[in-house]
Amino acid sequence: MDVSLLISLAEITIAGAIINASVHFVPVGGAPAAMATSTGVGTGTTQLAAGAGFTGLMAAAAMASKVGIGGLGFLLILLSGAVGSMIMLGVTMLIGQLIYVFGVGVVPAADKCEIDPITKDPQKPYVTPGTTGHGIPTVCFISGLIGAALGGLGGALAYIALMNLGFTPAVAGMLAVGFFFINAVLASYNIGGTIEGFHDPKFKKMPNGVIASLVASLICGIVAVAMVL
Amino acid sequence: MSHGGGGHATEIYPENQVFAVGVVLSLIGIYAAHFLSDYGLSMLIGGLLVSSACVAGANTVRKVAAYGLGTGVPSIGMISLGMGTLAAVAGVLIPKAFGIPYLVAPILTLIIALVVGFIVGNLTVKPVGMKIPIMVRSMTYLSVAGALALLGFTTAYVGSLEPTTFVKGALESGVMALAFIAAGMAILHPFNACLGPNESHKRTLTLAIACGLISWFVFSVVKLDIVSIVVSIILWAIVYVKFVKMSLNDACAVLHVPEIPKKEE
Repeated sequence: MDVSLLISLAEITIAGAIINASVHFVPVGGAPAAMATSTGVGTGTTQLAAGAGFTGLMAAAAMASKVGIGGLGFLLILLSGAVGSMIMLGVTMLIGQLIYVFGVGVVPAADKCEIDPITKDPQKPYVTPGTTGHGIPTVCFISGLIGAALGGLGGALAYIALMNLGFTPAVAGMLAVGFFFINAVLASYNIGGTIEGFHDPKFKKMPNGVIASLVASLICGIVAVAMVL
Repeated sequence: MSHGGGGHATEIYPENQVFAVGVVLSLIGIYAAHFLSDYGLSMLIGGLLVSSACVAGANTVRKVAAYGLGTGVPSIGMISLGMGTLAAVAGVLIPKAFGIPYLVAPILTLIIALVVGFIVGNLTVKPVGMKIPIMVRSMTYLSVAGALALLGFTTAYVGSLEPTTFVKGALESGVMALAFIAAGMAILHPFNACLGPNESHKRTLTLAIACGLISWFVFSVVKLDIVSIVVSIILWAIVYVKFVKMSLNDACAVLHVPEIPKKEE
């Protein structure tokens, strides 16, 4: 077996683990957040992670078509993917925040921490009784940006690995999309609905999800390698 | 997200039966799409038979999502298509890599989907900790349904299972991406729309058939196959009207918005 195949296999496996880890950073509020009665963006994990991941994948693919996948291009593609995802999720959170604050009229507040670890602002007094926080406080926003960057990085890494295996951009892109969904949904099942970010107690469950994704990605990687043997 | 999270939704047809019929019909459909393409029938016959894979997938989604996934019904539809994409592309490309006849593609897709679905299903139970008893079986079924729907609609569009033609016609043109989301919607939407305390198997299945037929319609339009467009939209309309009537019958009360009274002159 060729060494480059093994490198691609390793890259795909690591990419899956990174994608899974990234989803745990994204502040997902689910249905309650859509009514502003929970912290985070008001949609499901899969949709949010997929949105950020696809934008990252697009940005990575656009960069790959410009600079190629060798040498410095590798780094540029990874960065492009990360930045693309960050922009997408950043805009989503910002516009969501505007709607929560000026439309619904709630104060952004995190439920899972007494004081915001970044701004040191007290959070608990602003959480309406009977709800689990509102909007997207600073800590969740920062956490979301970290998650998006990781997600874009993971997507771009998977794309590069598939390109290295010798697939055309179309095939590599399609496989990367399927691959991204498998890992994003595994992560969302691990979270089990909603999460606020890295300060949430549920964040400690991350190793389980990462292990699951490592195994799943390894299987996907083996299937992908078998296609080009 | 679920109706009470109790599961055990009552059903008229057993899940295995619906699934088996869906798989067999869609396999026949894929081969029909390949062999009948010279007669211009690949979309008409292939598309119709393949839409049964969407119905089988939707039925499995109904069964598993009734337990309450915690993340919404769409998530399981999307993972089904994620595994399906991998299996469908692998099913077409692996025979080329190993030099075996490309006609095994649908069977190979089925096998890869079974294996990947089973492993991912086990992963959702063991390290991740989903507490749904039928999770492994459902993930396996969904992976197969997603893979067959994807491969089926793209084969119906391309009209050939030959790897080079398939990659050029389905992947390079982006039809695979359309199949991803169209088949995904057909699989996840029926239960997502019908769930609730008054959910009935018959109604969900009717909507599932309507969703399968409209996916077929979408691909007929993409292929500009006039006969398929007409047949699929007529069949869809019949089933959809039936679904709407059924919903109105099952509703507690139906109040139509009255016409705005004409101004007294």
